[in-house]
Amino acid sequence: MTAADSGRSTAEPIALRERASATPQSPERRPRVRGEIETETSPLRVEREASPASLADQQRWFARAVMTPESEASPIGAALVTSILTPGPQLGPLGRLEIYRRAYHLRLIECLLDDYPAVAATLGEEAFEELCRKYIAVHPSTDVSLNAYGRNMSDLCRTALKPPFSPVRSASGDLSFVADLAALEWAIVEVIHAATADPLTMTGLAEVPASRWADARLVATPAFRMLRFGYPVNQYFQAFREGSRPEVPPPATSSVVVYRSGPTIWRMDLSEAAFDLLHALTSGQSLAASLEGASAALSGVDESEAAGRVGVWFRDWVSSGLFSSVEFA
Amino acid sequence: MANRFNLPNLGVGLGLRTVHYSRILEAEPAVDWFEVISDNYMETAGRPLYYLDAIAERYPVVMHGVGLSIGSTDPLDTAYLANLRALRDRTRARWVSDHLCWTGVHGKNTHDLLPMPYTEEALTHVVARVKQVQDVLGAPLALENPSTYAEFASAPMREWEFLGRLAEEADCAILLDVNNVYVSSRNHGFDPQVYLAAIPFDRVVQLHVAGHTDHTTHIIDSHIGPVTTPVWELLGQACERARGASVLLEWDAEIPSFEETHAEALRARDFIGGSP
Repeated sequence: MTAADSGRSTAEPIALRERASATPQSPERRPRVRGEIETETSPLRVEREASPASLADQQRWFARAVMTPESEASPIGAALVTSILTPGPQLGPLGRLEIYRRAYHLRLIECLLDDYPAVAATLGEEAFEELCRKYIAVHPSTDVSLNAYGRNMSDLCRTALKPPFSPVRSASGDLSFVADLAALEWAIVEVIHAATADPLTMTGLAEVPASRWADARLVATPAFRMLRFGYPVNQYFQAFREGSRPEVPPPATSSVVVYRSGPTIWRMDLSEAAFDLLHALTSGQSLAASLEGASAALSGVDESEAAGRVGVWFRDWVSSGLFSSVEFA
Repeated sequence: MANRFNLPNLGVGLGLRTVHYSRILEAEPAVDWFEVISDNYMETAGRPLYYLDAIAERYPVVMHGVGLSIGSTDPLDTAYLANLRALRDRTRARWVSDHLCWTGVHGKNTHDLLPMPYTEEALTHVVARVKQVQDVLGAPLALENPSTYAEFASAPMREWEFLGRLAEEADCAILLDVNNVYVSSRNHGFDPQVYLAAIPFDRVVQLHVAGHTDHTTHIIDSHIGPVTTPVWELLGQACERARGASVLLEWDAEIPSFEETHAEALRARDFIGGSP
């Protein structure tokens, strides 16, 4: 496989995502919020809600208060809070409740930062935090795990973002580059958590009788994602990983495969023709039909050269462990 | 003295964190045991399990969860319980723990350890649920006292009374976090000695220590930095009462090298006398 065809594969470090029982706190990276924890000056509003009596009511009340965006006034009036929570030695009931509201949002922001370090670096701290707060408001967690919490980030970037994210908006005014970058980073998260399967080897392939090759279908390993972008996001991401601060590139289509081999995550740029062949092979098309399609795509290339190129691709993909088994129609 | 569950004294252990995976597997340092956050290995089929299996092959492991939500009024998540048991069986974890708290309600999860109102209603509710969990696990569950920043005005009990009664009525074990005792004592203005005096120590199978962050008006259980002297002293006092309880350091933010983190954990030996 030539460098132009395959791009490069790049090892990822160990992912840092993990849950913990600690309470998050980062006062130096504090968001734009109404007041400080110490304040007790939330406007006293007419209390229309009775003090919750049952455990279920208390939890419903507490969760609503904690999950309200910090940019908004507490949905619970100060008088009601005071009737439900006791004051501490130095903090009143509202200040004590605010600790939980702040921790809720910081924990989820930290989670999204773990998943999207390049998006965060691209947007800058303030804009990324604002993006996260929008995400949290739109997508409250409904899973017991945080592993998949960030799954909607690319869609949110593509559809819902408005200024002040102007530094990385495209000429058309949207955030399509950031959306592409988020899709790449999410693919890495998915591949980290996807199941491990024994790879199909060249030896295993050699056991397939020649008479059955035409209708053979290859099954992709579960820890494998193919992505097509409107920007060269993998090159940008690689530069970010190497510690540089790359400029947002102009639009240009690119194709990337993300996969895991053992504990190591790899990213691989593919040419259009290679991407189309690999996509055909891993989406249920027979080996014969896939190769026919590849030949057509390489129609401008000398026949033996085209066959050689496809052979190199195929052997590389098998040795990379992209396939887990062979099935027959 | 062994605890009433005859769970082993594993010594002084360390909370397993991803930044230390490579160092641990390369150097295989002498560590008494590791505590793993159960939830980090449950909704995944991939790389986290690769490392967990490798660690569990080499070291004794205990599972510590943050997602059970034992106090929530939502139904217990039976799929979560099944996964918890499967992970316990996979790692041969010596026991399983989680927190006396709730994390969400009405299907939404805050992923925080939210405070319980220490009422008779809550006690009855949690006792029943602990029994349900223990039925699934086929083993005692250890519940940890959380750090709290708020208390409910309606609660007739203080946390130590609630925890003691819960342990007795549900017949469960206790993971006593002495840092959390200290943090909550400062946040709520109680004497930690009163807390320790009320705990049924024959049920304490494990003790936690960790660093915290003092914001003057309140203390946050941040698990950052070294353990403070008052917390080490509480550990020593708890160990005098719970001889045979395993000790563990949690360090979750601004985590230093494995060697430095482990050295901080081993400082426990200066405070726990002949035990463990």
